[in-house]
This record gives sequence, C-alpha cells and structure tokens, in this order.
Amino acid sequence: MWGSTILIPRPAARAAYWRRSAYLLLAAVLTACGPNEVLVKGQFPAPLMQKLPLNIALWYDEAFSQHEFFDQAKGRSGSSWIVKTGEAQVDLWNTLLPGMFQQVRLLTEAPQKGSTIAGVDAILVPHIEELQYAIPAHTQIKVYEIWLRYRFELLSPSGAPLAEWSMTAYGKTPTAFLQSDEEAVNLAAVVALRDAGANFASQFRRVAPLQSWLANHLQQGTGPQQLSSQNIHSETALQTQRGVAQ
Amino acid sequence: MRCLVIIAAAFITASLSACVTSTVDEALFNSPSKGIGDATVVILGRRHASDYETEPGFIDCVGKHITAHDPSIEVIDELSFINELYPWFEPRTAPLHPQDIELLLQKKLVAQKLQALGTRYMIWIDGSTVRSDSAGSLACGVGPGGAGCFGFGTWDDDSSYEVTIWDFNRRAEVGRINTTASGQSYMPAVIVPIPIIAPVQVTACDSVGEQLLQFLSSEY
Repeated sequence: MWGSTILIPRPAARAAYWRRSAYLLLAAVLTACGPNEVLVKGQFPAPLMQKLPLNIALWYDEAFSQHEFFDQAKGRSGSSWIVKTGEAQVDLWNTLLPGMFQQVRLLTEAPQKGSTIAGVDAILVPHIEELQYAIPAHTQIKVYEIWLRYRFELLSPSGAPLAEWSMTAYGKTPTAFLQSDEEAVNLAAVVALRDAGANFASQFRRVAPLQSWLANHLQQGTGPQQLSSQNIHSETALQTQRGVAQ
Repeated sequence: MRCLVIIAAAFITASLSACVTSTVDEALFNSPSKGIGDATVVILGRRHASDYETEPGFIDCVGKHITAHDPSIEVIDELSFINELYPWFEPRTAPLHPQDIELLLQKKLVAQKLQALGTRYMIWIDGSTVRSDSAGSLACGVGPGGAGCFGFGTWDDDSSYEVTIWDFNRRAEVGRINTTASGQSYMPAVIVPIPIIAPVQVTACDSVGEQLLQFLSSEY
C-alpha cells in the first residue's frame, strides 16, 4: 500500500513532488554558494583582580555592538566569510570591566560634548579598527587565526577626550581540534577575545596616554564627580557577577 | 554473509593495533617522599608556539591517567583553573619561569585563590602529536549491488612532549620529563577497510602519566 503511494503518485502529487525536489535542489545549490558565516559565541570569565577605585561609563556604538567582518572570496576556489563578533564583544567587555573597576555603567545614548554624565570618572568607548583572519586554505599552516586591533577612547564625564590608545589581540586554534571551519574560526575568535580581555586587564595601568590621568585619580583618591547634570544620560548599572564556564 | 564479513572486520579492527616506539627521559629532583598529601595538582598546556598547540585532550588524558591509578591525587581541570584565575594564565600572561610565580603571588586575590585551591604542583606540558608522513591510496565505491573499498594506506604519527613540574611552595622547578613516541598505522581495504591504528598519543600520555605518578604518588 505504502509502496504504491510512493512509486506511482497521482499527477498532482507528482507535480508537487517534483516542485519540492526542485526547491530542495535550488536551496542546496544556493547554500553551497553562500558565504561561510560564523556568529561568534563564547562565555568569558570575570577577571580575578583588585578593582580600581574608578567609576566608568561605557558606551558601545553600533559599529562595535553589531560588529561583523566580511571577506569576499578571492577566486572561484575560495569562499567568502562573514564573522560576526559584536554579540561576543559586548559579552566580553560587560563581564571584564565590572571586574576591573569599582562601578561600570552602560550608557544607552552616545556621549555628547556639553552634556555631563554625573557620578562617573570617565567614559570608555571601545572601537574595533581591524579584524584579520587566516584559515589553513590561505596559509597552508594547520592553524586558524584571528587578529583584532582595538582603539579605545577615554572621555571626561563631559565628553572631552582624555586619552586614546590601540591594543591588539590574537587567537588561534589548530585544525585537529575541531570538525568544521566555522567551529574552528569561532574558537579562534573566542581565544582572541579572551586575549583582548587579558591584554586590557593586565596592561591598563601601563598604557602611556593614561598614566597622568590615572595617577591623578588614584593618588588623590577622589570619588567620582558629583555633578548635578542637567542632561543626564539614561544608564544602566551592569551586573558585576557573571557565570564562569565554558 | 555480508554481516559475517562486517563482524569479522570489526573483530579484527578491535584486536589489531600497530606498534609504537616510545622514549622517556626524566630529570627529577626534590621529589616529595610521601606523595603530595592533601595538596592538588594542576596540569596545563603551553599554547605559545605559532604553529602548534598542546592538545587539551592530551592534558585531560594525563590527568585521567593519574587519578585512575591513584584516586587520592586531586587533579584540577585545566579549563576550570584557567577560568578561575583569568586573565593570569592566558597565553599572553601565563608565567614562563618558576621565578614568575613570585610576581603572580604578589597579586592578593590570585594568591588567595591558589591557596583555596591548595595547588602545590603546577605541571606544564608543551608539545603535540603530528602526522609526519602518509602514503598509499584507498578507493571506495557504491553500486546497486553494494559498497566496498579497495587499496592500502599508511601514515606515521609522531608525538613529542616536554613536561615541567613547578613546586609552588618552593617557587622552583622540581622536575622535567621528555617523552617521544612514534608509530605507523595501516589501513588495508578489501571490500571493508581494516584500520590498524598505532596509538601514538595514548602511548605518550601513558608514559607521561606513569612518570608523574612516580613523582606525585606515595603508592608508586
């Protein structure tokens, strides 16, 4: 009974069958031609360190929080890549910074000159300047690599620039560890993000453009400026405790 | 009939394994006379080289070998330890020399965490297992009458690992183990491929585990 239904379908059913098969074939062809897409996902531990007595406001612009990297295939044999790191970036810095500073507030509006944010020592604005990746097909080395270059801006509570500096991060994973290119690129990106956190946390007090500002704030031991701002941004206190696992 | 062939192939595969040659060199000094007592051990992989990484699976294998042969030794999971002490054991920040322990312990929270974990020995493993050579060819096909493979393949795997043991209390290196293992695997195929695998990495893992047990365990 079942066999006859499958092998000798009625004309309408047969047409539907062929239509469905054509769609599946088309989908398979289109999928094969599409770029490799990696939505970077990972969990990041909070840092184990004495918090600096600073109240920091944090602003992620859209380019940062929605960051993605697109690399067009160079030839027919190559493949295009989209690496979306924005979500993981926000996860990382939302976990790292509350472990480094006494208080971290996440701004929901961009800091503007002339409008002062009350109760903070400075505003930190991270940017991703560059992302490079390498896969074994490019380098003939059995390692997947991600390289990131950040630029950080430190602004006064009123939005005036205090310091600006760059920082790099690197992550790699060998081919033998994982089954697919996407998994390997994801892991390399997570390693790079962890490295970014490690670099920022371990070097923050040594960043040359920050030295005088940090010395002033840490030696004076002054708390955050308690200004009665007339144009206070909407802000949210970040949760400082996060799960640590991977 | 086909079922019998598959069962026979599975049996042969399970019972065959190729030979592995392994060499272990050790230099141990200041070994604990009666094991490590209540202290814990952490085994960490070095991930500084540009073209290879010590496999997390190898680190896990050595830890399991130790706890399987002496359950009284507590081996802390590598990833848990690195996460607990983030960011001080990332490739960028991890101590490279025993003298760096002193700097690490100057960080109050790090010192407290290590004390809470009871870490007495930190064991660093640096190395990897690589496929050094391969030859032969194997072809498989599927037809209306069935499927099958024909051909012969062979490959060589080489393992090389260096183990360094640091004593947290003495802030010093107390031992060093080098192990190398190599073996050739074969894959003859007449209808059914029969892999004859040389367990190179497992042999290296067992060699390192045995040497570490002699150092850490009171029962060895």
